[in-house]
Amino acid sequence: MNILVCVKQVPDTTEIKIDPVKNTLIRDGVPSILNPFDGYALEAAARIKDEDPSTRIIVLTMGPPQAEKVLRECLSIAADAAYLVSGRTFGGSDTLATSYILYNAIKKVEEREGPFDAIFCGKQAIDGDTAQVGPEIAEHLGYPQVTYALEAFRKDNMLEVHRETDEGVQIVGVKTPCVMTFTKPAWEPRYPTISRKRAAHRAEIPVLGDDAFPDIDTAMIGLKGSPTRVKKTFVPQRKKDGLMLRGESGEAAARKLCALLRDAGVI
Amino acid sequence: MKDHIREKRYHIEIIPPKHNTDDIEADLELFREKYLRVIESGYCVCLTDNAMGRMAFQGHETIAELGLPVPPEQVMIHLNTFHSKKHLDEVLDSLRDMGVKYLLVVSGDGGPRMMRLEPKDIGAEGAATVTSVELLRYIRDKYPAFVTGVAFNPYEPADFEFKKLERKIAAGASFIVTQPLLGKNETVDELLRRYPDIPVIVEGWMTKKAWLLSDVVGYEIPTDADYDPIATLRELVRLYPNCGFYLSLLGFKTQYGLIGDIWS
Repeated sequence: MNILVCVKQVPDTTEIKIDPVKNTLIRDGVPSILNPFDGYALEAAARIKDEDPSTRIIVLTMGPPQAEKVLRECLSIAADAAYLVSGRTFGGSDTLATSYILYNAIKKVEEREGPFDAIFCGKQAIDGDTAQVGPEIAEHLGYPQVTYALEAFRKDNMLEVHRETDEGVQIVGVKTPCVMTFTKPAWEPRYPTISRKRAAHRAEIPVLGDDAFPDIDTAMIGLKGSPTRVKKTFVPQRKKDGLMLRGESGEAAARKLCALLRDAGVI
Repeated sequence: MKDHIREKRYHIEIIPPKHNTDDIEADLELFREKYLRVIESGYCVCLTDNAMGRMAFQGHETIAELGLPVPPEQVMIHLNTFHSKKHLDEVLDSLRDMGVKYLLVVSGDGGPRMMRLEPKDIGAEGAATVTSVELLRYIRDKYPAFVTGVAFNPYEPADFEFKKLERKIAAGASFIVTQPLLGKNETVDELLRRYPDIPVIVEGWMTKKAWLLSDVVGYEIPTDADYDPIATLRELVRLYPNCGFYLSLLGFKTQYGLIGDIWS
């Protein structure tokens, strides 16, 4: 099985602070990390490989040259090969333009690696939180997609997917090739090993630059290919008047909470 | 461990390379140099387990990757509760197979992307969470060949810390390593009175950045801006002649050559 995992380098939001005066993100000194949801997608692919060692896992990212670091991280964890999409004409792309570029990149990587049976993505990146790129890649490719996946298992020429729903876990089957976006499962991804880390340090990572896509529609990439317009960003005002119900039994606290919500017209 | 004290065998802490290192080869080379220097000095290498919650490679895999020797009396491995059961058993199996004898069992600092043992994983269903006590019991029952030690934090309220220590000793701990001391400490004095037969290793804080100690012990520790680690170690050796000494953040270039004469 051939699995492509799309990943993104993001700022570590656990380290981000807000400038209280300007209400903007303080990015200085904030480390960049592998988007955690992409880590779950990589782990899901690694678990399929655990069952079938002939599985190949390829990782792909789009970003500036320094995004290569997350590709090396993926190589140190489970990936067999990595590709970086990086070019000036791709800068300023919104999710639609990004998914179009990635679609073209997937086709380009398939020329080297063979056709992919599945494209795994994190459900969203923790910096943009749009959850759009994975489903848009599926649309560009014309593949079926499964969102909110927790885990995937190979079953003949299909994948059985456990996906998170409001009610619990839904099990669905999907024909390959397909696209899946992964959410946080009950487990944490495996750690890198030293031997893989050393190999990743030495690995050659091909860069797919502007000239790698001679047939790409330039009207659909970069700023001019991005219909998204950000009208305003702001930090939500913090509400400090929360009420803690202390010293109550569970039942009494629940009754009191319901009464308060009724009084407030919430229920 | 009593032999370590009698033979004046320092315990020297080394931190394995971090997961997010940009140059694993350089970090491994530095690790190799430090490790071999400690071994050749006849001291005991102590390898941390994701110290301060920062993800790092495990001691056993670093040793194995570099093919380093493991003299049983000269290697101590820290082990905390932030592992999956599968990973914990892999670590313990590897340590046993490579001949490691000493484990320092601690609860650990944890981190946002670390796994944590669940009570049911290690047969501790009655416990709310897995602490060093439950982990000690598990190791005692499943891996009885290891000699286990525990941490003692003299900056915690003494009653609380002594009760915890009692549970740790009941769970199998046979030696104690204190948190770093900057001088005479009444709680450690009390520890030595209460447990005269259990080897106690006093930790020396070997960086001049004394203010960092507060982050490690979890309490605000008043420190001197002109903190002198070597002078402090000399004083600790004088104050605690029946203890061993564990040195964290030791400067291998500037300090290593000085410590031999201090405890001799």
